Amino acid sequence: MKKVKLIGTLTLLSGVALTLAACGNSNSNNTSHPNFKESTPKKTIKDGGNVSVAVVADTPFTGIFNDELSTNNTDSEVMQYGDESLFATNNTYKYVKGGAADIKINKDAKTATITINPKVKWSDGQPLVAKDYEYAYEIIANKATHSQRYTSSLANLEGLEEYHDGKSNTISGIEMPDGENGRTVVLHFKEMKPGMTQSGNGYIWEAAAPYHYLKDVPFDKLISSNKIRKNPLFYGPYKVSKVVRGQSVSWVPNEHYYKGKPHLKKITASVITPASVAQSIKSNKFDVTQVSNSQWPNIKGAKGVNFIANIPLAYSYLGFKVGKWDAAKGENVMNKDAKMNNRSLRQAIAYGMNVDQVYKRYSSGLSFRIPTLIPKQFGDYFDKNVKGYTYNIKKGNELLDKAGYKKKGTYRVQPNGKPLTIRLAAMSGSKVQEPIIQNYIQQWKKMGLNVKLTGGRLMEMNSFYDKVQNDSKDVDMFIGAWSLSSEPSPQDLYGAKAPFNYSRFVTKENTDLLNDIDSQKAFNNSYRVKKFHQWQAYMDKEAYVVPVANSYNIYAINNKLTGYSLEPSKSMGGGFPNWYYVGYAK
Amino acid sequence: MWKTVLRRILIMIPQLLILSLLVFILAKMMPGDPFTGMINPNSDPKEIARLRQEYGLNDPVWVQYTRWLGNMFHGDLGQSYIQKVPVTSLIWDRAVNTFWLSLMTVVLTYVIAIPLGVTAGRHQDEWQDHGVQIFNYITFAVPPFVFYILGIWLFGFTLGWFPISGSVSADVNPGTLAYFWSRIYHLILPSILCALISTTTIVQYLRTGIVDNKVEDYVRTARSKGVPENVVFNKHILRNSLLPIAAFFGNTITGLLSGSMVIESVFSYPGMGKLFLDSIGQRDYTTLTALILLFGVLTLVGNLLSDIIMSIIDPRIRIK
Repeated sequence: MKKVKLIGTLTLLSGVALTLAACGNSNSNNTSHPNFKESTPKKTIKDGGNVSVAVVADTPFTGIFNDELSTNNTDSEVMQYGDESLFATNNTYKYVKGGAADIKINKDAKTATITINPKVKWSDGQPLVAKDYEYAYEIIANKATHSQRYTSSLANLEGLEEYHDGKSNTISGIEMPDGENGRTVVLHFKEMKPGMTQSGNGYIWEAAAPYHYLKDVPFDKLISSNKIRKNPLFYGPYKVSKVVRGQSVSWVPNEHYYKGKPHLKKITASVITPASVAQSIKSNKFDVTQVSNSQWPNIKGAKGVNFIANIPLAYSYLGFKVGKWDAAKGENVMNKDAKMNNRSLRQAIAYGMNVDQVYKRYSSGLSFRIPTLIPKQFGDYFDKNVKGYTYNIKKGNELLDKAGYKKKGTYRVQPNGKPLTIRLAAMSGSKVQEPIIQNYIQQWKKMGLNVKLTGGRLMEMNSFYDKVQNDSKDVDMFIGAWSLSSEPSPQDLYGAKAPFNYSRFVTKENTDLLNDIDSQKAFNNSYRVKKFHQWQAYMDKEAYVVPVANSYNIYAINNKLTGYSLEPSKSMGGGFPNWYYVGYAK
Repeated sequence: MWKTVLRRILIMIPQLLILSLLVFILAKMMPGDPFTGMINPNSDPKEIARLRQEYGLNDPVWVQYTRWLGNMFHGDLGQSYIQKVPVTSLIWDRAVNTFWLSLMTVVLTYVIAIPLGVTAGRHQDEWQDHGVQIFNYITFAVPPFVFYILGIWLFGFTLGWFPISGSVSADVNPGTLAYFWSRIYHLILPSILCALISTTTIVQYLRTGIVDNKVEDYVRTARSKGVPENVVFNKHILRNSLLPIAAFFGNTITGLLSGSMVIESVFSYPGMGKLFLDSIGQRDYTTLTALILLFGVLTLVGNLLSDIIMSIIDPRIRIK
């Protein structure tokens, strides 16, 4: 379920990149950090009332109401009212008891045992059973469905690959001790990973699909069938009452919900364009609206609403190209002689970015510099001793001088005497994106670094990723963004075999640290924490990838509503609140 | 004449083929593909590569093109990569929405433009004429999106008279009177705004036509026979002055289906224009090519219709 939101990552990312307008950081003085809460104020709730929610999106939603097949962020947003994740988590995303199902990891037996809460029923009154969980795996792994969710991490489940390749009709690693209609599922893995106790780990699927309802639909027709597009079933607090294709979805209470009857009479989620957000909030058109950060100065004075916010698991970063992806071998190959393969140069460039100043100026404090590649929200895993790179031209100059980048006229040359031109790829976005990037270029110029934009201007997202993914020679460094899974292992983004390691750096130290983080030893949490800290310190020192910023994710909520909380422990998954707790105050 | 019509229709076939080829190649030249936006650490690149292969995105462009062409002749325009439904069903859905919006807009445009044009022409250089001219300058000069956003701000948000987005309210059920009214209600603001800003050409043609025709010999003859002034205007002058407008009426009819990207985007109205724009952004090739082909057909048919209409209302013109 956590994964649901992630799939739309790039879109979200570009969103992050765009809205990362400007930020003030806690150690720069007098920043006007708005003081956001993660929940609406607590009040006594009454039953009844309708809630209208604005879903801010450029395009109509696709309307694939099924976690296994959906790939679209807007879809997750419009189905959050019924689409509850199987497992509950605490505030640092560890699995805890009390959700629709409980999960227990057994390291020695290489299993995960899932016990479904017997009270959980689909919105048509049928119980949620073991087969429903297995069926979700079948949808993902069966090639006929065209699901994009099948990954090598999921294939760590015994027999999933064989099923995927059509060599077997069943998934041998899924055991149902009480039968298909029982409440217990035992998953058998090839290898146990320490991240398996953390939601969003990618090894364990966190949703179920209603087998009794969908079994008559052939796998290849599933994605376009009305049972998924128009009349989907959920076991969360609300159920679909009506879908207006691409525009709106209405939800009414699911009387079979396992926690009890939800408070609201009706929830309507409708799509609006980003251009209407500020006016919608100011004129109280909707009860819940996601704020566009770039319009904040215009929105913040709105009356009748509470602004609540969380910091999403995401960041923007500056990456340096130091190698290439070898598609044949499926691994990154570092080029020792790459222009950017000089630690002093990379560090100097990082010191040249006045991130704090820029975001303070351009984002009203809604975006802020981040020091390391592991977000603070991960609790112990975040290393607070890593300070990152703060603006320091003097230090940058010293580093460059020492490393032999001599000045010839305005600009420095490479230690081998050749001229040095650095091409920066960056995405276009909100109107502040251009001045921010130009500002960095000016700062670098002050240090004598000749930085030019790839293609002479900011690039549209598709072109940007086209160049960055294919290791275009027009890119020496790039500013991208990632939205993260709630399991913090950096293996997928920075591993030697990770295609998403766009910097293409491969060092023994990095590989060892990443392997340690995911090793059997790391089932011992303090060991894992230690390795996470070492990795962050290493990445900070080497600066192959420099973390830049993150921003608040803000919602404007009608101030008569209560119980709306973005805390992970009160979430139904996917970063959305559990709507069971939401209602109007008495 | 029917021979000519038939010939024109036959010429359309190679025209459309060339159009589709161009569109197909240009679409493929855009950076990225429908899967670019799906990439993230939780999707497996190998799996994405497999899907690319399965959808034939790795084949040479000409292979993809001939495959697409072959399917099209069987009436199969393919499946939308993004919406995961057949393109025909997707377009049908949007075409209905666009049709109603455009129809209302066109009707309102004529209802507003014709009286304005007639008044201006009839009272040439008087205050009525000046008033209409000023109106015309404004509607001509203001960029449509500014006008729409102003309209939505004033009538949608500030006064709260009209809905600000969508084509129908979520609370009503299809088939009921309330549903029908909700659809109309959602159309009022966009269609009025769109109509107001589209009147320029019609007003201008009509005014010029009337001013020119007023001094023609046949008008003098009619007046000297003692025909009442109103009849002179409505029967003799107006009819002749409408000719230039009729010249693009064929395109107006087919234009009912092509929609407007600007108005549909501002109002999040799910119509053809919005679909076209989205399919470019999301690299939804199947939808994109199908739409451009459809727009091409509409333009060519529109031109033909215009010629036919002209020949019907003005017997002096014959299609050769």
